[in-house]
Amino acid sequence: MAQKLFHIFRNTPLGRETLLQSIYFCQKLSVRPNIYIPESTKFLMYFENDVVQVDLDPSYLNDPDTAVAHVEQLLEASKIKPDLFTPKNYTASTLPDVPTSFEFMCCPRSISDLSSKIGLGYIGPRVRRIIQAARFPVLITSPVYKPWQTIAAFFGGSANAVNALRLGIRLAKVTGMTLDIYTHVGKNTPSEYRSIVQDKGLDKPLKSVLNQWTFFEKGRFEDNLYDVPHNALVVLGAYGHGIIKDIMFGSMMEKIQSTISNNLVIAGPKYTMLG
Amino acid sequence: MTGFLNKMKYPGRWSLFRSDDRLLLMIFAIIVGICSGLAALLLNRGLETMLEWLHHYRFYWWAIFLPAAGAALSSLFLEKIVNEGAGHGVPEVIYAVSRYGGLLRLRSSFSRLISSFLTIGSGGSAGPEAPVVMSGAAIGSNIAQAFSLNDRQRVALVGCGAAGAIAAIFNAPISGMVFAIEVILGEWSTMNIIPIAIAAVAGTEVSRLLKGNQIAFAHRDFNIHFHDILACVGLAVFCALVSILLTRALRSMHHVSKGVTLPLWVRAAIGGSMVGAIGYFLPYVLGEGYHAIRTAIEGGFSGGFLLVTVIALVKVLATALTLGSGGSGGIFAPCLVIGAFVGLSFHRFMAMVWSSVHWVNEGCFALLGMAGLISGILQAPLTGIFLVIEITGGYEVILPLIVVSAISTTLCHYLEPASFYLKDLVEQGQLLRPGTDARVLTDLSVQELLETDCICVHPDMRLVDFIDIVKSSHRNYFPVEDQQSRQFVGMIHLDDIRPYLFDPAMHHAVLTGQLMNPHVKTVSLHDDLSEVLQKMDADHIFSMPVVSYSRFLGMISKATLLDQYRKELMVQTGRF
Repeated sequence: MAQKLFHIFRNTPLGRETLLQSIYFCQKLSVRPNIYIPESTKFLMYFENDVVQVDLDPSYLNDPDTAVAHVEQLLEASKIKPDLFTPKNYTASTLPDVPTSFEFMCCPRSISDLSSKIGLGYIGPRVRRIIQAARFPVLITSPVYKPWQTIAAFFGGSANAVNALRLGIRLAKVTGMTLDIYTHVGKNTPSEYRSIVQDKGLDKPLKSVLNQWTFFEKGRFEDNLYDVPHNALVVLGAYGHGIIKDIMFGSMMEKIQSTISNNLVIAGPKYTMLG
Repeated sequence: MTGFLNKMKYPGRWSLFRSDDRLLLMIFAIIVGICSGLAALLLNRGLETMLEWLHHYRFYWWAIFLPAAGAALSSLFLEKIVNEGAGHGVPEVIYAVSRYGGLLRLRSSFSRLISSFLTIGSGGSAGPEAPVVMSGAAIGSNIAQAFSLNDRQRVALVGCGAAGAIAAIFNAPISGMVFAIEVILGEWSTMNIIPIAIAAVAGTEVSRLLKGNQIAFAHRDFNIHFHDILACVGLAVFCALVSILLTRALRSMHHVSKGVTLPLWVRAAIGGSMVGAIGYFLPYVLGEGYHAIRTAIEGGFSGGFLLVTVIALVKVLATALTLGSGGSGGIFAPCLVIGAFVGLSFHRFMAMVWSSVHWVNEGCFALLGMAGLISGILQAPLTGIFLVIEITGGYEVILPLIVVSAISTTLCHYLEPASFYLKDLVEQGQLLRPGTDARVLTDLSVQELLETDCICVHPDMRLVDFIDIVKSSHRNYFPVEDQQSRQFVGMIHLDDIRPYLFDPAMHHAVLTGQLMNPHVKTVSLHDDLSEVLQKMDADHIFSMPVVSYSRFLGMISKATLLDQYRKELMVQTGRF
């Protein structure tokens, strides 16, 4: 059964870069892009136990007359049959419901002044709520089209990091690329991290795709990120902290996305591997 | 610490509630009832203060712009600050209950309270009840979300929120309970009734604690005779017609406003200024109108038949202008005001025509008119009956109340099959009450019904080889796929090969590609089952291929669909 990536198209040069990223991702993973050209700046996503309102910035409604043609042009250039999403259900007349039954979703980074924020438009916390509630991983693209040649997974030993590692292994297998793992050594020793992987039964599948496992034992986490290849698709788990913890200690996800410009795939706490 | 917080987040897993979740729901029902009751009282108190404060300025000419300012601010608040779709919110609650297990946004728990405070407080003709229902329901939903309760429990808490809010605002626990079950949930099940009743009691107690145990619209005793009850039939017809008029006026005004290419806040301001201008001459139409109701029920309204009728009709217009143009609020209170004046008008008409008959006091007809309007517009007779009994303390009017409510509801249902709250949802096919055909079909998906035990053949296969496949299969349908691209190209039904089956000369001459039907109708994974059934019925077929991105995935058959339908129906109705 064809897996889908849900992409919200913005009819601007930045939107074109983002769509190119999604197309590249889809080609590498044999996933179908499902494109939504929004007609209003807000929509609702109903998850299992949460409803998230996504507020887009007005640039998503730019020049609607050419939007479909631009999407078709980009997809046809990549030999992909356009598959446009049209909302069927509306909570209110200007508030369409977007289903949550796809396998991946693309959320572009914001180009607002707050470069540490990611967002569908300007509201970063919305994307974080999507990640928290969704069963699918979220692709956060780099600001310009940037094909990736390897996979890099961040692994900190938590349950979500194990989830992310599982996703990294899957992506590496499907794309035929190698996987690098990066661990910022904290409470555990490198051998303890390896035994976590072993306990979860990931050591065997990892063997076939692992290129190298790097342990950052010194220095600040942000500084060590320089070692992550610029052409890697970075896979990480969202840790599912509450807002208070994030405000007090900062979010690892925000730290990573504001330091490196790679494409990111983020698996949330409810991510379940399909296929 | 994290472990403790995780445990707190899933109370359903606590050993106390693991065996039976009814106790869990009761505890949450109390919390939701108190919170929604407080929200309702907050808005009620706010409106009283605001209306009292603005009352002194109503006699200045510029007061006509007060409702305009209120409606514009309300619209700006909803659109620009909280970014929420406008409207009074009850259909949104019903929609969330029908389709998404009662999931509502957190912002809805306060947004409508503030916006309706601005609209009604400034003089707009609307009621605070629908906003407090929205707020209470959203409080219930978000408490359920915070504690990871399941869909069924969440829906029950949404009902609890609505019941607590109505119970608190009117000091009327039974009305709150009946409204939540009859209008919001549309399902009378013991599982819901108990927590909703508890929430209604909690909401009422909050109201009594903070406002005192008052009957909202007290009245004198009525001495009702048989001819009064007979006259109620006429009043019910009158109420039904006015209910239809109000429903259509609200919808027409909404469509007119939508067609105007001005920002929503400007449209709301225009509607508000028209209401302000009307209110300058007829102050009865301004605000929620509780004062007018009290005067009508006490029999203290001195205007004649014509004036009373004009007030009722102008109130319809003012409500349509306020809500249709973008103001925020509900129709409950306007219905009560219009109903009271319809009742008065009818009484005066009867007294004029049959002046020798000793009619009951006109306050009684005002009260019956209120029930007639509420029952008619909501098509919820029990809500109308209990609400009027509780807010007026008038149990002696129960017989004519039942007559008026029943007839008004029936007539309205005949003229407008869906109530005001449900009309849009019904038109969009979004009203999915539990146990109904639409709901059962929505809760099933094509994916669940997929039959994958089909044998695919390719177009270049000779008939002789195909016959071998038919022998080993128990199916009548055979999908045909292109050998290279594996794309679905058509379908062969057993009937298609029958003419060639007994002619051995053809077995080596005919290819499956020549036998297949390339124009067969297909279903996609995301199609609604109601559409799939419609297609099957229209073409008199029992099976259809499911195709996604030109790839055959399986078959969907009427037999499997109806089998699953029955199972789902039993789950939804609790009948095994």
